[in-house]
Amino acid sequence: MNDMRNNNDVGDISDIDDMSGDIILKTRDLKKTFMQGKIPVHALRGVDIDIKRSELVSIVGPSGSGKSTMLSIIGMLEKPTQGKVFIDNIEVTKAKNKDIPKLRREKIGFVFQHFNLLSVLSALGNVEIAMRFARVPKKKRMTRAKEVLTEMGLGDRLKHKPSELSGGEQQRVSIARALANRPAIILADEPTGEVDTKTRELIINILRRLSDHGQTVIIVTHDPWVAERTDRTIKLVDGKIEDLLK
Amino acid sequence: MFDIILRNLTQRKIRTGLTISGIGLGIFAVIVMGGMSENFNQTFEKSFSLTAEKIRVFSSVGVFGGGVTNSKVAEVRKVPGVEDAYGMLMAPLEEGGGMSFGGNQVTGIRPEKSQVALTPIKVKDGRFLMRGDRYVTVIGSSIATQYNIGVGDKLEIEDKNFTVVGVLEYTGSFFDANAAIPLDIAQDIYDMGDTVSLIFALPQEGVDGELLAKRIKLSVDGVDTLSPGELKKEAEQNLRIFSVITVSAAVLAALIGGLSVMNTMLMSVMERTKEFGILKALGAQQRDILLMTVGEASIMGLIGGLLGLASGWAVIYGMNLWLADQGIVLFLITPRLVAVAMLFAILLGTASGIYPAIRATRMSPMEALRYE
Ligand SMILES: Nc1ncnc2c1ncn2[C@@H]1O[C@H](COP(=O)(O)OP(=O)(O)OP(=O)(O)O)[C@@H](O)[C@H]1O
Ligand SMILES: [Mg+2]
Repeated sequence: MNDMRNNNDVGDISDIDDMSGDIILKTRDLKKTFMQGKIPVHALRGVDIDIKRSELVSIVGPSGSGKSTMLSIIGMLEKPTQGKVFIDNIEVTKAKNKDIPKLRREKIGFVFQHFNLLSVLSALGNVEIAMRFARVPKKKRMTRAKEVLTEMGLGDRLKHKPSELSGGEQQRVSIARALANRPAIILADEPTGEVDTKTRELIINILRRLSDHGQTVIIVTHDPWVAERTDRTIKLVDGKIEDLLK
Repeated sequence: MFDIILRNLTQRKIRTGLTISGIGLGIFAVIVMGGMSENFNQTFEKSFSLTAEKIRVFSSVGVFGGGVTNSKVAEVRKVPGVEDAYGMLMAPLEEGGGMSFGGNQVTGIRPEKSQVALTPIKVKDGRFLMRGDRYVTVIGSSIATQYNIGVGDKLEIEDKNFTVVGVLEYTGSFFDANAAIPLDIAQDIYDMGDTVSLIFALPQEGVDGELLAKRIKLSVDGVDTLSPGELKKEAEQNLRIFSVITVSAAVLAALIGGLSVMNTMLMSVMERTKEFGILKALGAQQRDILLMTVGEASIMGLIGGLLGLASGWAVIYGMNLWLADQGIVLFLITPRLVAVAMLFAILLGTASGIYPAIRATRMSPMEALRYE
């Protein structure tokens, strides 16, 4: 119960923060506890982060430190045990369950380590489906899907199924899919975890370019080479931020 | 969403095919059994409507209990309110044919009453029986087809040749399988003395059949009556039992098809745990996922239903064609049967998809995405 009062205090401070810059993502006292049977697992123990629009940020840390949990909560796939998340000044942690899919479509684009493309659909279909849920008319969906895929250098791979694409190509399809609805933030969980060094460079360059064009990107990575190429690195250790600035 | 559903279905061709066949088989059973039941219904209905106003009078021992003597006919006719009465002697046409369904029947009737007895059925060819007729017969349309005979041809009954003098129009009733011969000849060849199986009594204009039936029963010794209302009730009861038996057998078969859809859907939902996680991460709503899963099941139901309908129809068509040679119609496909079967197939598919769909929407997206 005293946590509640705590939250309110933090809320007041965050209002002042809003004035200070173009903050697109803000978390306050984010905590997540999973119950492993009867044993609580504290995946996040109070995380405060502020990320500016157009920033390319990396989150690093040992395995089990809570990086994926963090992304899931920001992406509204999971609710925090405590704390708040603001995206574009909207307190998404306060949103009703039924509004979450819409918020997720508008604010978040996911890129996963294992690409997670739908195997029955072509590259075009995989990108286009993201817009279906947003009820975008078919013509517009097709145009937009072709546009982002072409941007990713896949203009000649539109009709290919994921199984007919290389790892790097699949990851680019999944980036295109994440971009389709023009989300506020791209959340990428180990996007280079399954590709060779040449593709790794290609992917990072793409994400860099997106950031330069105003897209906010958060990358979770184990790879120092990738972290070095981001604007800022946040290190999570045991569910807490260890070192905020690079 | 439809294209994705189709792709998901065609992705696992064998499994989808087996599931659809399961539903198809069930609906096939519904169509065939239902077709049989519909045909019975219709035959009874037509037979009944053709004899609707007539009161049946039989020995109080029962219709098959030995019959009543000719003399009772005169007694029945004397009961006030009776317009006319005539006796009939009924026997199976084919040896060992029994009086059961599908067998042809010989009816002995006094020639001058044959027109009254068969009204409103018309002769298509020739004439009704006439006073003075002896070894002649008026046959129903099924017998004409089955034996391939017409007016002027011979029909053998109990080793005697009868000349066909009339062929009745098709009615879809039991009369189609009936050969009418003069009563005295019938009593002679079947060695029945002067008994008849049944007396039909026609009420006078404006006389209530139910009341008259009671009056006949009270005024004539040793007889029992079946009024049109009672007959209808009895027939309907039998029909209902028959329908319940056939239809429930078919429904059972179809439900097994439904269970196979549920099983398939549960399997594919489990397999696609990750896919649903991805879809949620892409912003899919509960109802998008519900629609996709239930849609998949409904489409399996629809295709299975169409398959069952087509195969059932084909088999019935073939059977009817084959049986037509013998003048028998065993199945009847009615629009309501088709509608019920298809509706049932789709509902079954949909209902079987609901539980797996709910399972799909309940999965936590994060866990789904961790799932390898
Ligand atoms: N659904 C869950 N149920 C129980 N425990 C969980 C669940 N999800 C995560 N955890 C636990 O929370 C902690 C943080 O997990 P998380 O996946 O966020 O780590 P991570 O930093 O992404 O690790 P990795 O680098 O290996 O991907 C771990 O101890 C993990 O076991
Ligand atoms: Mg992780």
